[in-house]
Amino acid sequence: MSGGKRLVIADPEAMERFGARVAAELRAGDVVLLTGELGAGKTTFTRGLGAALGVRGAVTSPTFVLARTHPREGGAPLVHVDAYRLADAAELDDLDIDFAGSIVVVEWGAGLVEHLVDEWLSIVIERPTGGGASAPDGASDADEIDDPDDAPVEPRTVTVAGTGARWADLGWVHAARD
Amino acid sequence: MSAQPLVLGIETSCDETGVGIVRGTELLANVIASSMDEHARFGGVVPEIAARAHLEALEATLLAAVERAGIALTDLDAVAVTSGPGLSGALMVGVGAAKALALALGKPLYAVNHLVGHVGADILHAPGADDRGELELPTIALLVSGGHTSLLLVRSLTDDVELLGETIDDAAGEAFDKVARLLGLPYPGGPQIDRAAVDGDPTAVRFPRGLTLPKDLVAHRYDFSFSGLKTAVARHVERLRDAGQPVPVADVAASFREAVADVLTAKAIAACVDLGVPRLLLGGGVVANARVRTLAAERAAAAGVSLRIPPLSLCTDNGAMIAAIAAQRIMAGHGPSDLGVGADSTLPVTVVQA
Repeated sequence: MSGGKRLVIADPEAMERFGARVAAELRAGDVVLLTGELGAGKTTFTRGLGAALGVRGAVTSPTFVLARTHPREGGAPLVHVDAYRLADAAELDDLDIDFAGSIVVVEWGAGLVEHLVDEWLSIVIERPTGGGASAPDGASDADEIDDPDDAPVEPRTVTVAGTGARWADLGWVHAARD
Repeated sequence: MSAQPLVLGIETSCDETGVGIVRGTELLANVIASSMDEHARFGGVVPEIAARAHLEALEATLLAAVERAGIALTDLDAVAVTSGPGLSGALMVGVGAAKALALALGKPLYAVNHLVGHVGADILHAPGADDRGELELPTIALLVSGGHTSLLLVRSLTDDVELLGETIDDAAGEAFDKVARLLGLPYPGGPQIDRAAVDGDPTAVRFPRGLTLPKDLVAHRYDFSFSGLKTAVARHVERLRDAGQPVPVADVAASFREAVADVLTAKAIAACVDLGVPRLLLGGGVVANARVRTLAAERAAAAGVSLRIPPLSLCTDNGAMIAAIAAQRIMAGHGPSDLGVGADSTLPVTVVQA
């Protein structure tokens, strides 16, 4: 895995569309590794991906349950995992996920999934942190907050990289930029 | 079967092993064993640990409930169990135990919905105690816990429950856990934030109110979103740290809690007003949150909505509420569940009995 392709995703809707674009590439046996800070947009991405796959059940954060399986008609189920609370690959293995028969999306899985599968698509989502981008509250960027009740929209930088022959060709990635 | 059926209910959907016994709407026993301490070091419930803990605690919990109720298992009219929604492995332990008990005793099995159970908790009263007044229907119900954030329209406890909205990302309880983590507070986050917020100023930071703007109300009028709020808290804390300033934990906790309480209660009251249902019931562990209770009471009073909050021991997960729903189903003439019934982690709220 080297470098990877970078894109800028403007807002949550665009993140869902990007998830849908990735979904179009997926089939049973595929693993997507999502990396990003709390609040980067990992669940938003997966919501778009799940909707495009036509899965049953709302795709919400799996933090509480660790892993949630979303069945779908006539296709491999989506297994959405949050590995944040897992200490090591053995604990992830304990979840008994059917990697071969499912499409598996793992949040916070870097450093764990590599021990269980040989090929994966890595998606790193970066949001501005700390003092970057928007100014500290109060002061600020005129367009940052029109209404304080709205969550501020800040663009995300996404890096897509593949490991293994399955993901050798990432030619489809720029299509994601609308 | 008697007019007021004697029902034992088993609840194992998450980390509480609950066994309750009711006679109709009379609460005879409500025994709960929690494995919460075992999950603390993982920063949240671990399904496999929960399932194992249920297995270890179930028999003792069941025997304690039977003793407290002063009944014999053979007196029971039916066995009830939560079939979902919840954690699969955890649910399976309860469902397996209930089936075995029903078969061994030759009693009918009622596999019921956990969320409807939370609403059913409200109809229970202690033997001889003053009734809290009948639960009037229809009612709006706001159920909030670690794993759920749901707004329901309940027309009948036995066969007519509609899901108005739910969270589209994090459950409210989960947002409390994550913000606690950001503030360096331990798990579970709810009580920790509540405690830290006591001395804080809830107006110190105006955090986002998810899905409350006019543009969101079209598609998500009764849905909730706490992800943007969580991110805003993270950004706020990071900016202060980057600037070398101390993080005013009490103010951030109070402001965060205010944002959650504001959205939960505003949407619940809006549903009451929009749908012409002047009754609101709160359920789930978040009811323990002082600010959510106070704000709900203020807003309900202002909107002419009557507010019901069951006692906390019946708001958190328990078996009595499951027995209560089964008793209602029996009294309404519904037959038992098939013994082939299984755990269903995503059982929709519209299915009161599986």
